[in-house]
Amino acid sequence: MLGAEVTFDVALPKVVWGWLVSTNMWAKSIATGTFLLGLYFIKRYPENDNFFRKWIPILGLIFIGITLLVTVLDLHHMFRFWKIFLFAHFTSAVTLGAWVVSGFVIVLLISFWSWITGNKKLFDKVMIPGSVLAFFSTIYTAGIMGQSTAREFWVFPAEMIQMLLSAAIAGSATYLLIMSIYNIQNENIKRELGYILIGSAFLSGLMYVGELLFSKMHSEFSYETAKILLFGEIAPFFWIGLFLTIVIPIVLVGIANEKKKYEYIPIGSVSALIGLWFIKHAWLLAPQMLPLS
Amino acid sequence: MRLGFLVDLSRCMGCMACAVSCKAENDVPLNSWRLRVKYIDQGEFPEVKRHFVPLRCNHCENAPCERICPVSALHYLPNGIVNVDHNRCIGCASCMMACPYNAIYIDPLTNSADKCTYCAHRIEVGMMPACVVACPTHANIFGDLDDPESEISKYLKEHRDVMVRKPELNTKPKHFYVRGSTVALDPLASERPEGYTLFTEVKFLDHIGGH
Repeated sequence: MLGAEVTFDVALPKVVWGWLVSTNMWAKSIATGTFLLGLYFIKRYPENDNFFRKWIPILGLIFIGITLLVTVLDLHHMFRFWKIFLFAHFTSAVTLGAWVVSGFVIVLLISFWSWITGNKKLFDKVMIPGSVLAFFSTIYTAGIMGQSTAREFWVFPAEMIQMLLSAAIAGSATYLLIMSIYNIQNENIKRELGYILIGSAFLSGLMYVGELLFSKMHSEFSYETAKILLFGEIAPFFWIGLFLTIVIPIVLVGIANEKKKYEYIPIGSVSALIGLWFIKHAWLLAPQMLPLS
Repeated sequence: MRLGFLVDLSRCMGCMACAVSCKAENDVPLNSWRLRVKYIDQGEFPEVKRHFVPLRCNHCENAPCERICPVSALHYLPNGIVNVDHNRCIGCASCMMACPYNAIYIDPLTNSADKCTYCAHRIEVGMMPACVVACPTHANIFGDLDDPESEISKYLKEHRDVMVRKPELNTKPKHFYVRGSTVALDPLASERPEGYTLFTEVKFLDHIGGH
């Protein structure tokens, strides 16, 4: 500070994107994460593919439905949503995201039809385009964050990796939860999902530590945003999120995998899913706490 | 033609005539601002200085709002103005997330994004923007940056202390400040004690507007 203070200014809204956008990112992580991991397990364990062929479309359609619902609800003109297709502006990551997610929804509908009719070949045909669409559906939000020039704290490459790790966390945690709820006994798949959850949570935690503590802050805005996340008004959300998404799942799912105490898995999975929303929310709000003008 | 704006901060006396004329000309609703004047006090008595800073859209040549708008509601006019098409806007607020100058707002009555357009409707018929006309000290200087004979081009040539806000973001703003300072132009260089929005924080009644 240069011994100066603002003595008059107009009241500008602080938070432009709030919990609806956090929920969008959270639900999308589950939808794309369950899809991508589901495909991996169908290929790896073809003898147990029925479980994934059933839950890919169910989870995908529910959570991509939530994603689309909160996206439309967040629009100030929700009934003009169609304009994004008719007047598409393809320099915008928002437009690219809308098109990619629409394609992903079509793939999910095909996979749903494939499950209903038992026509496995139908789903097999859309697996490759589906995985491409799921991948880009996961990362397009990082593109939007990267294009949000005002929020210098968000950098596309780091956000993209975090989005992919979020999808891995959300996908593995959701499948582990479903397997626990329906008492599905397949130790190999359960353990592998557990290790995916532990690994992705660990890497995600490393990314946060790296970004906040060790990376060079290229602007005062980024530095102040990091301070808000770590110690400011958003800090409770962030620390709770980190604890729930990273610490608890690593410990509980780690114990479950190593000691074969699978009763710990549901708690670890639910914790990861709840914590992921908190982290997304904190990460979204923090750069909006600072004045831009 | 590349229309640009320049504010000579040494001439600005914080009278708000520009802000009021902008509101009147463009029917800007309560609680929303296309142009505002920020007051910043610096120093301790008796060495105190007050800075007045008019803030509006910078009509960037590399506008992040134009790039991120999913439906091209924000678009360039041939004269360089970044304009808004209210009927096309879907209200996603991406432009508000992208604009590093906090120059865009969602109009509570139309639910569309809105901002300063350099009074494009007035320029179209050969008139100056309302804020330029209203300024009693001619602190607002407006004109064609491509015309070497325009007042703004001459002003830019004559003054060495020309600044823009956040040049490091490569938005290439076409809104310049002469005799500015870090305190005046960097939002993080000054503290914001409670109460500085005392007269501007309007609460809407339910039947009037809001969203």
